[in-house]
Amino acid sequence: MNLRTIVALVRKDFSLFFRNRFFAIMTPLGIIAYLIIYFVMPSSVNESLEIGLYAPVMPPAFEQIQDEGLEIELVESEEALREAVTEGQYMAGIALPADIMEKFLSGQKPHINVYFAADTSEEVEDVIEVLITELAYLQVGEPLAIEVSEEVLGPDMLGMQIPLRDRLRPLFAIFLLMVETIGLASLISEEVERRTIQALLVTPMTMAGLFTAKGITGVSLAFGQAALFMAIVGGMSDQPLIILVALLLGAALVTGVGFLMASLARDVMSVMIWGFVALIILLIPSFGVMFPGTITGWVKAIPSYYLVDTVHQAANFGAGWGDVWLNLMVLLGFVLVIVWAGVMVLRRRFR
Amino acid sequence: MSLRRVGILLVKEFFKGPKSFIIWAIVAPLVISLVVSLVFGTLFSEKPKLGIVDEGSSQLVTMSRELTSIVTKEYDTVSEIKQVVESGAVDMGIVLPEGFDGFVIQGEETEITAYIWGESLAKQRTILLVTIANLVRELAGQEAPVEIESITLGAEVSIPWNDRLLPLIVLVAVFFGGIFLPSTSVINEKAKKTLEALVVTPTTVGDVFLAKGLLGIILSLFMGMVILVLNQAFGAEPALLVLVLALAAIMAAEIGLILGALMRDITSLFTVWKLGGILLFAPAFIYLFPQIPEWIGRIFPTYYFIQPIVQISQRAGAWPDIATSVFILIALDLILVGVLIFTLKRTGQYKV
Repeated sequence: MNLRTIVALVRKDFSLFFRNRFFAIMTPLGIIAYLIIYFVMPSSVNESLEIGLYAPVMPPAFEQIQDEGLEIELVESEEALREAVTEGQYMAGIALPADIMEKFLSGQKPHINVYFAADTSEEVEDVIEVLITELAYLQVGEPLAIEVSEEVLGPDMLGMQIPLRDRLRPLFAIFLLMVETIGLASLISEEVERRTIQALLVTPMTMAGLFTAKGITGVSLAFGQAALFMAIVGGMSDQPLIILVALLLGAALVTGVGFLMASLARDVMSVMIWGFVALIILLIPSFGVMFPGTITGWVKAIPSYYLVDTVHQAANFGAGWGDVWLNLMVLLGFVLVIVWAGVMVLRRRFR
Repeated sequence: MSLRRVGILLVKEFFKGPKSFIIWAIVAPLVISLVVSLVFGTLFSEKPKLGIVDEGSSQLVTMSRELTSIVTKEYDTVSEIKQVVESGAVDMGIVLPEGFDGFVIQGEETEITAYIWGESLAKQRTILLVTIANLVRELAGQEAPVEIESITLGAEVSIPWNDRLLPLIVLVAVFFGGIFLPSTSVINEKAKKTLEALVVTPTTVGDVFLAKGLLGIILSLFMGMVILVLNQAFGAEPALLVLVLALAAIMAAEIGLILGALMRDITSLFTVWKLGGILLFAPAFIYLFPQIPEWIGRIFPTYYFIQPIVQISQRAGAWPDIATSVFILIALDLILVGVLIFTLKRTGQYKV
């Protein structure tokens, strides 16, 4: 394997890539578009139910409802409450009657009006009603016969929840990696179709050198874009080295997948079909990060799980090497196997 | 231009063309629709999820299942519920001891353990705790000490996520195949130099492009109808829906043909798609997030396809509600025909 030849081939691929006006302009524009999507998404999580309360007389039990998860604001009049709910300032507005305490004391049921905005979901309406009923129970002194002991499992993120856009970071990273890989696979497929690969192999370039050069090109293009994206969206503010290592391994992984796709595909179009299938499969673990608990243990059979989980843990929870080393080792194992398989089948196709 | 030759070319595209083109145009939108519906349609629900392990046979489980405000799931063991809570599959998991109902009915003090997922939102935790307390009171036969009257203000209605996602799914179905099929077909012919061979026969470039465009239109119209039927959105005004879908399919095919004429290879097409796809699908985000002002959507051409689809399928709209958009859509289609002819002449790759 001649280093100079490899460098020459990598330089040729890069120069072809950037000489192409579309690649040169559209690739950064693509990243910009993803960045725009990221930055227009909410940067925080609303953890509370905003409720307006009009209370000419405030029952003691209702004074205690400034609980976590509830944001109660007092309003001066029932009319102001209705207006605020209509304008969407509150999810619901509770109007207590002036005679509420007398009714409670005399054993009668007070009548409480609850205003909802028209777009409030049915479940929120039910929940507010349940909440008021519970407060009323407390006010009339009917104790609950049970005691609930709470145990929080996993890191308690109360008040510091991860916004959806940050949960999307691994998905964006995989997407950027995979799109470049489809590009690499189609370049290889084109070279096979046009038989330029065979022409190349009659020069001093060896098969190993060819794969190394193509691998370096693929990894650099994929890794460069994903790393740039992660840096801009703040994904590297906590554990930059871990993120970089994970992305590098991820880039190598998808390059191996690219080799496999190029070997399976007969033409550029079928590269896209195989690429689409691979993209969907590799994206599945990132759905598990976006929507925790929706995907079960089988997802660990997908190699990108270890990339997604590492990026998620390091970028969103500040996980260190001790927490993610196993992920990185498994990812490395997958990389070795997939790149080896890709090289083997592609080598057979070249021959 | 000969209609007979266009017909022959169209049949050739359908039956002799690479199968992968057709698979790409049909399977991709279906898979994307399925994934998007599953992922966003069901998972964006903000209902808190409660997991229950019932060590006896408590009525509370049945009562909880009947509630619409929360999602109730049952598990067999404590270790299982701890595992699902830790994974975030439920926000909270409770374990009801044997004889729980008896204790509650007799008013005896009893304790239940609630496992809370660390990433669960504060409001979800509060909702679940209050709901559990309320169910226990119902179980104990306690009568609610208040009368609550719910009053809904304003005329807006809550739009479920499944409905919000329909524009995105329909856009994918119509524009994915509609753009990719003609563009990749043209690029492929360019790459294999078969187009040059074809145009030395009496067949003109116009015949070839029309045949490829028709293929894109037919498939994307078909896919649009399939997706609407699958999403139960084809019931009202089917004739108007087909008209709008056909106009959108024409737009998609025209864009595909323009891209096919301009791009040198598939990789360049894919690179343009990375940005262009986002611009095409932008109006769908207006419907996904109603907080975004609707006028922003009007900047994008696909808005004039999506607006009538939403108006008819979700808002019981009729011709007067969509007429303006349909006319704009027709105008856009005509402009694109002009752009396509101009592109073919300007690129000078073929004689027109």
